[in-house]
This record gives sequence, C-alpha cells and structure tokens, in this order.
Amino acid sequence: MIARAVVVLLLAFMTLPTVVVVVASVNPTEMLAFPPSGFSLRWYEHALTYPQFRRAAVNSVIVTAASAALALPIGTAAALALVRHPLRLRGFWTAVLLSPLVVPGVAAGLGLLILAARLGLLANHAVLIAAHVILVLPFVIRSVMVSVANLDPMLERAAASLGARPWRVFRMVTLPLLRPGLFAALLFAIIVSVNEFVVSLFVSTRVTEILPVAMFTYVVNYTDPTMAAVSTLFIGATFVVVFAADRLLHLSRVFQIDTHR
Amino acid sequence: MVALGALFQLSVLTFVPGSLKTGGLTDANFRAVLAPQYLRYIWDTIVLSALTTILTLLASYPVAYALARTPSARVRSLILVLTLAPFFTGAIVRTYAWMLVLGQSFIKWPVKLLFEPEGVLIGLVHFSMPTMILILAAAISHIDPVYERAAASLGARPSRVFLRVTLPLSLPGIVSGSLVVFAWTFSAFPTPELLGGGRVKMIANVVKDLALDSFNWPGSGAFAVVALVVTLLVLAVTSRMLGREAAADGHRPA
Amino acid sequence: MNTTVVALEGVSKRYGAVQALDAVDLAVYEGEMLSLLGPSGCGKTTTLNVIAGFVEPEEGRVLLDGDDVTRQPAWRRGLGVVFQSYALFPHMSVADNVAFGLRERGVPRADVAARVREALTLVRLPEAGPLRPSQLSGGMQQRVALARALVIRPRVLLLDEPLAALDRKLREEMRAELKDIQREVGITTVFVTHDQHEALGLSDRVAVMNAGRIEQLGSPREVYEQPATRFVADFIGASTVLEGRVVDARTVVLAGGQRVEVHLPRVLSAGATVRLVVRPERVAVGGGAGGAANVLRARIASVMFLGDHSELRLDLDGGGRLLATVSGPALFQPGDAATISVPPDAFLEVPTTASL
Repeated sequence: MIARAVVVLLLAFMTLPTVVVVVASVNPTEMLAFPPSGFSLRWYEHALTYPQFRRAAVNSVIVTAASAALALPIGTAAALALVRHPLRLRGFWTAVLLSPLVVPGVAAGLGLLILAARLGLLANHAVLIAAHVILVLPFVIRSVMVSVANLDPMLERAAASLGARPWRVFRMVTLPLLRPGLFAALLFAIIVSVNEFVVSLFVSTRVTEILPVAMFTYVVNYTDPTMAAVSTLFIGATFVVVFAADRLLHLSRVFQIDTHR
Repeated sequence: MVALGALFQLSVLTFVPGSLKTGGLTDANFRAVLAPQYLRYIWDTIVLSALTTILTLLASYPVAYALARTPSARVRSLILVLTLAPFFTGAIVRTYAWMLVLGQSFIKWPVKLLFEPEGVLIGLVHFSMPTMILILAAAISHIDPVYERAAASLGARPSRVFLRVTLPLSLPGIVSGSLVVFAWTFSAFPTPELLGGGRVKMIANVVKDLALDSFNWPGSGAFAVVALVVTLLVLAVTSRMLGREAAADGHRPA
Repeated sequence: MNTTVVALEGVSKRYGAVQALDAVDLAVYEGEMLSLLGPSGCGKTTTLNVIAGFVEPEEGRVLLDGDDVTRQPAWRRGLGVVFQSYALFPHMSVADNVAFGLRERGVPRADVAARVREALTLVRLPEAGPLRPSQLSGGMQQRVALARALVIRPRVLLLDEPLAALDRKLREEMRAELKDIQREVGITTVFVTHDQHEALGLSDRVAVMNAGRIEQLGSPREVYEQPATRFVADFIGASTVLEGRVVDARTVVLAGGQRVEVHLPRVLSAGATVRLVVRPERVAVGGGAGGAANVLRARIASVMFLGDHSELRLDLDGGGRLLATVSGPALFQPGDAATISVPPDAFLEVPTTASL
C-alpha cells in the first residue's frame, strides 16, 4: 500500500509541471495565479499570432521534414550495413554513427557553429538541417536495426531460392517487413527534430530559428502565459503521438521491458 | 566528427577580443578553465550532477519496479506513457513548466527555489527521471521472477526478497543508469540556464555565455572540450562495466 | 545407371575456428531421397546451404547436372527449399506465397492461378489460398512451404529439418505424407535431419555426418546393420560397445572374461583387440539358454518400462555393460541375476582407431 502511494506520488511529481502549464495557459490575467481567476483563450490567440512563433513554426516544419527525409534512407542503409555485412571496423562505424547520442549538445553545437562559420554557411537552413540529420540518425539507425535483427534471414533466402534477384528480394520481402521499424524511425526522427534545442540554438539565427529556440528566447524576455499556451499545444501534440505510438508499436518492446507471464 | 575536430582545434588557439579571428597556438584557454571564477562553476557542476544522480536513482527505482512488475498491462501502459511523455515533450517546455511551478505565484514555497541551486536540482532530477526509469525497468524486467519465487520458497519475506535478490540483480541497471544520468547532467544546458536565471551556472551555460554572448569561441571551446571529455569518459566507463556485467547470472540477454 | 544430379567435390567451409565442412564429396542421384543425418553442428545444414547457394564454400566445387554452379547465386539455381522455420512470408497470403516463385519467373497470370491451385491441392490444402500463414497450424504451414517449393518445378528439393518444428504425433503423420508426395512427384530430394527414425524411414540413402565429414554413406539398412565407424554405431540406434581380445578366428574373450563366438566378415588374428557392437534388440534375456548361441551371465542393473517394450541395463559378470530390449513389461527387478544369449552374427565390429 505504502509502496503504491510512493509510486503514485512520484508519478504525480513527474506530471505536475505539465498540469501547471495547462492550467496557466487558460489563466486570464498576465500575472499567474492559482487557482486561476477565470478561463480565457487569449494567450492561445496571442501565441498563434505572434510573428516570431509563426516564422519559427514554419522553420520547424521545413527543418524536420527535410532532416527526416534525409535521415530515413541514410539510416536504413546504415542499419542494414551494420547488421548484415561483416564490415571491417563495424564497432568503429557503429560508434561514429551513434556518437551524437552521447556528445554534449553544447559541444556539438559549438563545433558545428565553428565549422559553419569556416564554410561561410551561417544563417543558412542547410547547416541546421545537416545538424538535425546528424542528431536524428542514431535514433533512426537504432530503431531500424531492431527491425533488421528481428527479420528472419531465412525469408530472404526463401525468396532467393524461389528465383528472386537481390533487388526483388529487397523490394518484395525486406522492405515490407521493415515497415514497422521504418515507421518507428520516422516517429523518432520527428520527435527528436521537433524538440531539438541546444544544437539549434548555436547554429540558427533569428531568421532560421526553429520553435524551441524561439520559445527559449521568449521565456528569457517575457513572463506572460503565452509560453504556457504554446507549451500546452506542444504537450497535447506529444501526448497524441506517444499514445498512438504505444498502440501501434508497443513501446515497451522498443525499450526492452519484457514481462514474464 | 569534423565539427568536433574544429572544436578541438579552436580550443587551443588564442582569443582575439572583438573578433572571430584567432591568434596562435596556446594553452591559455584551458588555463582559464582553472581560474577561480570558472573553477567554481565546474565544482558546482560536479556537485549538482552528483546530487541529481543520487536523487534521480532514489525517485526512479519505485516507478521502474512498478513499470517492470505490475501485473496489469493497462497500468503498465499508463505508467509508461506518463514516464515517456515528458521525455518527448522537449527541454524548453519542461523547463518552462518548472519555472511556473517553482515561482511563487502558483505555490507559496517557504523558501526561494527559482534561480537557486535547489530549484535547478529539482528540474534536473525531473529531467533525468525518464531515462533512469527506462534503464532500471529494462534491468528489473530482465530478472527472471523464478529467483524471487525461489527466495520466497526458502522463507524470505517480500522485503528480504527485494533486498537479497531483486536489488543485487538489478545492480547493472543501477550502475549504468547512474553513470548515464551523471554524464548527461554534467553537460545539461536548458535546465540550469532557465531555472538558474544566471545565478546558478553549470559548465554548458559557461560555454554558451562565452560563445554566443562574448564571442570568445576558443575560450568557449575549451569548456566544451572539458564537458565532452568528462561525458565520454563516464560513458566509456559505463560501457566497459556493462560489458562485464552482461555475463552476470540472472540476466538474460536483452 | 544412376544419373548424378548434384555433386559436391572436395567442398570445405570454415566459420572462424570451426571447420564446418572438411573436403566433403557427395553425389545425389536422380529421383532418390538422400538424407544428411548427424548431431547439431556436424555440417549437415551447411552442406544443404552450399547446395542451395546460400553459402559459398572456400574450396571445392558444386555441380548441378554436371555444370559448375559453385559461384552461382541462389536465385539462379532453380532449386526448391523448405526451411526449418518454413520461412513463409508473413506479409503475404498463402496463395501469394506459393505464387511468389512463379511471378519471379514471369509466368503468365492465368497459369499462376492454375499452378498455385494445383500445388495446394497436391499438399491437400486446396482451400487455404486466401489465408495468412499465421492463421495456419504448424503442419499446414509446413505443407504450404512444400507447395511453394514444388510449384516452381525445381530440379532438386532441399528440406532443412522440415519436421523438427512439429509435435511428435503430427511429425509421424507428416513423415508418411512427405514420403507419398515425394514419390508422387518423383523429385530428387536432399533432406537434413538429426532424427535417425526420419532418416532411416524416409530415405533411399543416408549420409551420416560428424565434424564436417561424411562418416558413412549407404542405404538405411547398411548404416544400421554395418556401421562403418563407432560414431555411426553410436549415433544410429542404441547400441553397446564391448572390448575384447581375439582368441581365434571365431572366438573372442570379452574384457570381463566371458567367452563369445562371433561371425565377423573380417578374418581375426589371435591376440588382437577388437571392439564389438551389439544392438539391444539382438540380446535375448532369460528363458532357457538351450540354444547354441553365446550364453552369458549378467545381473540386472536397471529396468525401464517404455510401453511396447522395456529397456534393460545389464552388468555382465566380470565386467562390461550391455543394453537389451524385451517386448512388453520386463519380469525382472534390479539386482536379479539373469542369463542372456547373443547370437554370433549379432556382433558387429567397429574399428578400434577411428573416431573415439
């Protein structure tokens, strides 16, 4: 009983900020108050009409779409190569491709900033997109690798024994069976890219900045609940995505939490 | 990779104030890291990271255990979604939410929390919990319940079963989760930036201040290199230990 | 004469430190069913994979109807393969699975439908076409896999432990059915198994493999009745090995001191050491020892009742242990003394030097 209460309390701790943000977002006054003195959607209106948020939202869509479109085929090819081919230095390549997971954001951001400055590419979407591709790739590769590892190579052998040449084997057997992994990879790519902040802060300008960077700037400069409204929209979208993902992909399998029953 | 190379190169070049051009080779940037006013930030970073790790571990274990061992699939799913949602919400939204919670307008806290180390600590623990919970839950769920049943059949009451069997067998998860959280917290940026309000600074905030406000890229680079090296070292230790622990009894390969 | 369809010539394959195949020579004849039998890791599946084209050997050649196909990829070889896990494509219906090979060959649409129906009828599943593989039982999936392999009219049918995933009763049914279908189609078949009953019951010839080599290749009766090596004798059928010293051409003194008469094809020289194999069903336990056969004294060590027969372990007086089977329940208790008799022609000789 006590144990259950502790777990509930801890989960409440995890959820508390979310609840507060949602409550704050419908607060009618500029000064935050609890309990709220009424209900108002004015901060949503302000958030949706604030020019810098609109520009940043467009940038987010461009950067996320472009980086997902690039990272998915690159990551799939890399995952297939890493799992299937007896590459020399396989450990090295895996480490290189997965390294963005462990490199601190400020180090990666500053490194990319210096590099972009050298190449004269500052204030360019290309740098931001390249940065996002690099950051998203580990997630794509991991999720596709899981699918590749679960793919019974006998199915591909069977197709070959029935006369399918390699490209046909890939088209008719490999690709359709990797579809769930590719879908998960796409989902991860979008979530990571949409939420990416630290590296983007370093390599974007007022013109190219994406939503999290614009939100950061807003929080630093203003205290009104507009940010709460934007955050609520963000949280809502995330909840929908995570719920859908759990239904479609059974997240506990993705995170290797098995049950003995 | 190339970007990190550029980072290393710049961190050993001389900073020319007011310019992005750099001078000759120097170790001044790294000596500056050890100057008293900066050393304080590094010390704060180490203390905050250590405290975050310990508190995160304590707060995450019960949730992870519940996630791994709750019989009801629906409850498990609920815990998982509640765990993952902040994980996917993004740093800015989460940190902003804590600014609201820790500020005095919603809850009248007896002590000041926002823009104080305590507030940063709370934010960092919250930020690290999903990661820790997932790592611990994976470790606990890989323990075959047959060991726990065996202990119970030998007369161990539930608390003893937990202490003598479950906890020791989940040690690899505890170790790897702690090291990962320490490494990530060491280079945390948005949480101390917003919750510290300039009064509490960790190493990543110094990197950003020097790079984006003072345009001292070489000096900033030296701090970034320190953050990078510490993070990679800690994670290298983690994977080394995990490689050894993987052979430990009671753990089926994932 | 026998036409050779598949030939392996000096085929070797190594996986890291493991020599999976060690200079294997093998000829598969037209229309026969040949099984590769051996324990796991003996190289039997590698042999099949080399024939199928999934694994390229480091040395040696693979011939198909006399043509060297060693470097030819699997999809060009036109062989039918049934996998242990069946490897039915989970994202396609049963009919699409069976049609797969036909479509890859560009067979016209109308013919595809007709041949799929024909193949499914052959495996007695004419109605299964629209179903998904996951909706079928293991035995049905096995038949679909067979139909998918046969529909392309392969030159050779390769079966990798095709019955291993089935439970015992179904396995026995499918064994008979597989034999019927193979005879009906008359296709040359190579069949991998670790189950001696499957190998002996199904095949025209058996290749017993061990440690990357073929230890013996012969008809089921040959490998059972005249094992060429101790490994073959041990692996096929339960058996007991007794050591002895030759007294004269027909007499051997067993290690325990008892004397037996033997009829061996080889002429024995006095004083030599021999290893004799005895199949348990050739040992008669109890009853009057009235015949001329070798009568030995023994004590019952253990009795195991197995339904239609019982298995006895016997300690020979003076030393040596013998396995015996008697039909029905045994009327002995452990510790009982018993006389047993073994006819002279029940003793087989295995080389003392070869493998163990």
